[in-house]
Amino acid sequence: MADGGVASMDEALVARAGAGDTRAFERLYREHVGRVHGLCLRMVRDTQLAEDYTQETFIRAWRALDRFEARSRVSTWLHRIAVNVILERRRRRELPVEYVEDAAEYDRDNDTLDTPVEEAELEATIASLPQGARDVLTLCGIYGYAHEEVARMLGIAEGTCKAQLHRARALVRARLESGARS
Amino acid sequence: MSGDNEGKVGAIGELPRDIAPARDLWPGIAAAIGAAAAPRHRRSWVGARPVWALAAAVACVAVGVWIGRASLAPPSATLARSGMVQDGVAREVSYSPDARFLRTREGLLREVSERLAQLPPDVRTRVEASLATVQRARADIESALGRDPGNALLQEMLVNSYQDEMRVLTTVREIGT
Repeated sequence: MADGGVASMDEALVARAGAGDTRAFERLYREHVGRVHGLCLRMVRDTQLAEDYTQETFIRAWRALDRFEARSRVSTWLHRIAVNVILERRRRRELPVEYVEDAAEYDRDNDTLDTPVEEAELEATIASLPQGARDVLTLCGIYGYAHEEVARMLGIAEGTCKAQLHRARALVRARLESGARS
Repeated sequence: MSGDNEGKVGAIGELPRDIAPARDLWPGIAAAIGAAAAPRHRRSWVGARPVWALAAAVACVAVGVWIGRASLAPPSATLARSGMVQDGVAREVSYSPDARFLRTREGLLREVSERLAQLPPDVRTRVEASLATVQRARADIESALGRDPGNALLQEMLVNSYQDEMRVLTTVREIGT
């Protein structure tokens, strides 16, 4: 199905769920749970927490259905909620997020490689990144969000976002390299 | 930096975006939103609607079909006594639904046969029995109409039998969505 078709189906489901139809909401859940859970798992690196946060994301989404704006994609809306859940929980657990602020020299992004990948190795390397770099790499690099959107989700400056992405990629390269040497 | 590792970095965007959780999280969500949704008066009615609607539809069809079958004998008997049935050979039914209706019905039947598999066995048995009864009744009506094509009562009963069937089919379909 084309993206437009999926989006309009999602919107119809949101409208029905907003009217109290839990079956429609369950369909939304089935449609999007993998993507929400994938994001949570990559950002928190803990299976149990990822499941908890995924559950919390959908519960909050249900409560916020009347605030869903049709110009957004449902998947993006759910991801925003998921990121909020994660950031709130981090604050409660008092885990500081480390962001690099000197962004000026990192504004250009020239990584355009597209060769096949050994997923497990790459996932493990991403999981080993510092939290701030990992968040940005997950949202920009894996889920394809623009810096502006990611900056808004994470509550950081756009320049910081770009710097984090650059840093994250440099760290992944270095770690893959050191792993290859060892 | 080897080209191989550079390629891996570039391929970050190709990592799978969907990772299904190891367990189904829906029951927990359903429990939470059930409690949260209590003030939404519409919800409880909507949530309960399909089961009640199906039960009501099946009951209505059962009553309607019983009445229909009971009223079939007199016209046939009357027809036979009046000599309108010639040599015991039934004529063609004069009434037939339009092509668009038949296409819709066929589509619904296909959809419902898939949805039926998801229903609890006892509900499925009742729905299947109800549909079978409607279809048997319709065959009886069509047979009677074949002998008396101009009978307005039989024509109305035939239309009603299609409506009854559609009511059950659409209710089952709604339950599955």
